[in-house]
Amino acid sequence: MAGQRVMIVGGGLAGLSAAMKLAELGVDVDVMSLTPVKRSHSVCAQGGINSVNDQTRQLGDDEWKHLDDTVYGGDFLQHQPPVKEMAYWAPRVIELMDRLGVTFNRTAEGFLDRRRFGGTLYKRTAFAGATTGQQLLYALDEQVRRWKTEGKVRMFEFWDFLGPVLDDRGVCRGCVGQDLVSMEIRAFPADAVVLATGGCGLIFGRSTMSMACNGGAVSRAVRAGAKYANGEFVQVHPTAIPGADKLRLMSESARGEGGRVWVPRRPQDTRDPLNIPLEERCYFLEERYPKYGNLVPRDIATREIFNVCVNEGLSVEKDRQCVYLDLTHISRHELDRKLGGILEIYEKFQGVDPRSTPMKIFPAVHYSMGGLWVDYEKAADGGLRVGSARNHVTNIPGLYAIGECDYQYHGANRLGANSLLSCIFSGLIVAPGLVEWLAGRNDSTKDASESGRLFEQARQAHQERHDALLARSGGGENPYLIHQELGLVMTKAATVVRRNDQLAEAVQKTNELRERAQECSLSDTGRWTNQNVVFTKALVDMFPIALAILEGALARDESRGAHFKPDFSMPSLRATSPDEKRREAEQWCDDFEASTAQWLRTTIAEWDGNRIRLSYEAVDTSLIPPRPRLYGLVGAEVIEQVWKERQAGRAVPGAGTAH
Amino acid sequence: MAHQSGHGHGHASVATGHRKLADWIDVRVLRQDGPGQASYWERHRIPYEPEMNVISVLQRMAAQAKTVDGRAVAPVAWECNCLEEVCGACTMVINGRVRQSCSALVDRLLRENPGEIELQPMGKFPVVRDLVVDRGRLFRALERMKAWIPVDGYFDMGQGLRQSQSAQEEMYPLSECMSCGCCLEACPQYTKIELARAEGETDEAWQARVREAYDLGFAGAHAISQVMLFNAHPTGRNNASERLDALTDPGGIQDCGNAQNCVAVCPKRIPLTTSIGRAGRAATLHSFRSFFDR
Amino acid sequence: METNRPFLVRHEFLLRRLHSLSGLVPVGAYMVIHLLANASIWNGPATYQSAVHQIHSLGRALIVVEWVFIFLPILFHGLYGLVIIRESQPNSGAYPLVGNIRYTLQRATGMIALLFIVWHVFHMHGWFHGEAWRELIDPWGAQFAPYNAASTAAEAVQQSTLVTLLYAVGITACVFHLANGVWTIGITWGVWTTPGAQRRANYVAGAIGLGVLAVGLAAWAGFAFGVRTSDPEAMDAIRAIERRLLQEKIDSGLITEEQASEKSAHFGAPTDR
Repeated sequence: MAGQRVMIVGGGLAGLSAAMKLAELGVDVDVMSLTPVKRSHSVCAQGGINSVNDQTRQLGDDEWKHLDDTVYGGDFLQHQPPVKEMAYWAPRVIELMDRLGVTFNRTAEGFLDRRRFGGTLYKRTAFAGATTGQQLLYALDEQVRRWKTEGKVRMFEFWDFLGPVLDDRGVCRGCVGQDLVSMEIRAFPADAVVLATGGCGLIFGRSTMSMACNGGAVSRAVRAGAKYANGEFVQVHPTAIPGADKLRLMSESARGEGGRVWVPRRPQDTRDPLNIPLEERCYFLEERYPKYGNLVPRDIATREIFNVCVNEGLSVEKDRQCVYLDLTHISRHELDRKLGGILEIYEKFQGVDPRSTPMKIFPAVHYSMGGLWVDYEKAADGGLRVGSARNHVTNIPGLYAIGECDYQYHGANRLGANSLLSCIFSGLIVAPGLVEWLAGRNDSTKDASESGRLFEQARQAHQERHDALLARSGGGENPYLIHQELGLVMTKAATVVRRNDQLAEAVQKTNELRERAQECSLSDTGRWTNQNVVFTKALVDMFPIALAILEGALARDESRGAHFKPDFSMPSLRATSPDEKRREAEQWCDDFEASTAQWLRTTIAEWDGNRIRLSYEAVDTSLIPPRPRLYGLVGAEVIEQVWKERQAGRAVPGAGTAH
Repeated sequence: MAHQSGHGHGHASVATGHRKLADWIDVRVLRQDGPGQASYWERHRIPYEPEMNVISVLQRMAAQAKTVDGRAVAPVAWECNCLEEVCGACTMVINGRVRQSCSALVDRLLRENPGEIELQPMGKFPVVRDLVVDRGRLFRALERMKAWIPVDGYFDMGQGLRQSQSAQEEMYPLSECMSCGCCLEACPQYTKIELARAEGETDEAWQARVREAYDLGFAGAHAISQVMLFNAHPTGRNNASERLDALTDPGGIQDCGNAQNCVAVCPKRIPLTTSIGRAGRAATLHSFRSFFDR
Repeated sequence: METNRPFLVRHEFLLRRLHSLSGLVPVGAYMVIHLLANASIWNGPATYQSAVHQIHSLGRALIVVEWVFIFLPILFHGLYGLVIIRESQPNSGAYPLVGNIRYTLQRATGMIALLFIVWHVFHMHGWFHGEAWRELIDPWGAQFAPYNAASTAAEAVQQSTLVTLLYAVGITACVFHLANGVWTIGITWGVWTTPGAQRRANYVAGAIGLGVLAVGLAAWAGFAFGVRTSDPEAMDAIRAIERRLLQEKIDSGLITEEQASEKSAHFGAPTDR
């Protein structure tokens, strides 16, 4: 491995865990990041990180159940071997992070404290106050800094990834980056490039994501031929604080600790919320889901809040959609002890004390389940073969993707507190695989002059694109305003509720915006720290991903996880008589199986230079057979019974070939 | 998602009872085109919207790219990322006081200083452009202080050491430091170090020269506090004396002048002066020990 | 590279700690003793003169004691203090917080104190010995004669309104510097670390400051107003006491005539004024 280098793009949890592990394995690493890595978006994660632990184990939990919860929560859209491997690594990942000094909350006896999150019955979630992501990131940042002082890792902070460099056999040989300070464009030869660039929330204008989450790096890989998978699956978090610049997350734990969601029954009641009598308030989650109340899963809470504002017109404010998230019935002391951190965010940014005034919240785009398509190598035990060069490699050899920017772990919907796990896990698992890849790359330096030419050509191409952008007289379009428009289009068509007519219109509008974006005039044509040109490039690169999301959603005529199309949803049972119910349930299960046969597939989007081309790929569900998610459905118990009988029938060889 | 209209004009917030404080916001920005160049003030004017923060003001200014007298100018450069005060990127001097621009709410600023908002880059770091400064020295201080846990490696070695709740409660606030630099900007003992790269100087030579200069400067409250964080950790304390060596090297704890601005301006309310006091005690014991025990 | 660093840089920690320590001991401690001794003027010139005699009873060792325990520490504390100040950028205008204002005041009073002490030693002691030098600097320097302690000190302090005021300002600056220094030294060495402890320590330091200020201003008032230099008869009486006490020392052999003439303003001269 002497003289071999790996370039990691992005310094969040995934990128840094990969860098740290690679350095330990003796590989020289370069890290390129838009921001100092300590400022990466991972710092925004609040709730925690999941794993089976000694306590849940004794309550009947095990890694298999973590796997089951994850794939059930993800509506079975993810390949199961990587998820299995992740669930089995999870306890060790948390132990490692604990050893690295993460200030996890403790029990009285000094063990890691755990809280319960959505989508599971067990208290699996380890947490560090309300800033778990920040704490995890800092521990990794510190380790990477340690390797940096030892010369094993080089940092290129304030650098933008402009694209991979592929040789004539289509193998990734490095990348081109741009210094955001001096605007220098430089080629970085590398024996592998790992993208760990996070989500693409900026495509939706405002989201809970950070300003660096523009999807640019992923889009540049897609432009180079990488496949983008399951793009239409974008998680919308039910509770965020609307802001002019950003939608700030209000953690699920606010409801976990007893927060209640409501709207005044009289639309846009102007009274002080505390003066509205109880009978004039609509606690719509509690009314519609008496069993789960305010703690329904994320996708359902999101849909209900959206519905109550958009369709029922009961938004608290006239010009802005929001509902109350009310903690005022809980004692201040209790709130400070359990929710201090997140309440402070609300107080700081809204100037209102949520302990005495109900918060105003609304759903916000939060996480991309989709991402770059990546491979894996299945082991005999159903998990991954650790150390396989295939793990996390994109369809471009030598180009890898980990963390939120890959599509691998969360299927159609992500469970709370699983993202920190998948980010760190994917970083740790990609490292030994890269070692195998590097071992097979001994010929990489055989023709220095040829590869020198390759890099110079790639650099030159990006330089020319940059120079042309600066020199362009422009058609007067303003990149910032186009970005706002794109955000509105995407938010309207591709978030909570999706309709084919709206999606088709959005595709058309997005293509128009894409044309207009070619006509952007730069307000800064300078050659020093030019944020205007950097933003414009990122904007232009948002379109392939935006179109992948829209086209994917348009094509997928079903509801699955975060992708909700009312026109193609499985209905509740309407019948009242048991026999009729039974018949309907049989029909329901038939429909479900047909829909599964057609749509339990990974969407693969490819960019041909001008448009998105979609194809589909089978999902490996070999470990846990798909079953219907019956949440909140009328007649669920009958459907469940029918479904179980069918499954039982199938378990006997030769029996019950129902269809 | 939340605002269905892009700008969210004119909604009245029931809870806060916002009244419109102005029709326009005047913003005075201290600009600088590049390192070593002269700085100059520039005035921008944007329409007032309720519930704005300085980030959204800068976003509107960037989209507009015009001064108050209609002159087209390059957008003001600034640094930001998370916009919820956990990443530490967007530090600047607003109305004369260092803070995060994401949590600097316009309504409050206008009440503080009616009529205009004044933005300046931090004064203790070299200006890169406009409001962007080079905080490399801040991160270098973390390297100096060996601000990490010296684990054997990242293989599975079982659980970490058990820690009491009280130990966690002491360490957690220190671990919230987001390296924003507010404590350094407000510190009268922390003075600017700005070098110019010589003609033809190699990357390595330039970086070594910068590092040496930074290493002689005061490390600052954030770094001192990180030493106390890692020295409190059950594994971190294994190389506590190395950190204390670093802490008593030139530019170490001894440069603190006890003005205690650091703790007053820290956006995360980290008990920096407690860390400094404890670091002083540790340095005292360490220096006695290394003098009399060697 | 580390070996190329200048002495002041290489030994910064040690020097800072010595600086911190020297402010308390011996400099601060000496100042308190000095002010207490001077305040004894309120008990009459004899008490004060006796105190001075006691100090001067060290004889030839006095100069060693003075240099080792007073002048060198003060010079070190003051000059290294200037080094420290040179590296600071007070900003109590931009950040008018109590701690920060005190930070600025500590540096301001430090500089005032240094100037004051240098001037004070010149004014009273004259910096150097030697008859020709003394005549040259008269009446600006070397105004104090140890064996005519009360009379010469009072005359010196009352030399002009400006001088009287300078002493008040100088003493106040020194006392603030000491009291605030007591508080910061406790942080520097890690005695009080938490905000609560520092608040309590602040009360203690404040009390010490007020106490020392009371002593200092008492001493100042004693010489500025208590001794009525404008009254020749009163002054003659004081001088008579001083002469008597000196004669006793000479008679008992503790002081030689030579020493006596060196350290008294009027010895051998039958009258002045």
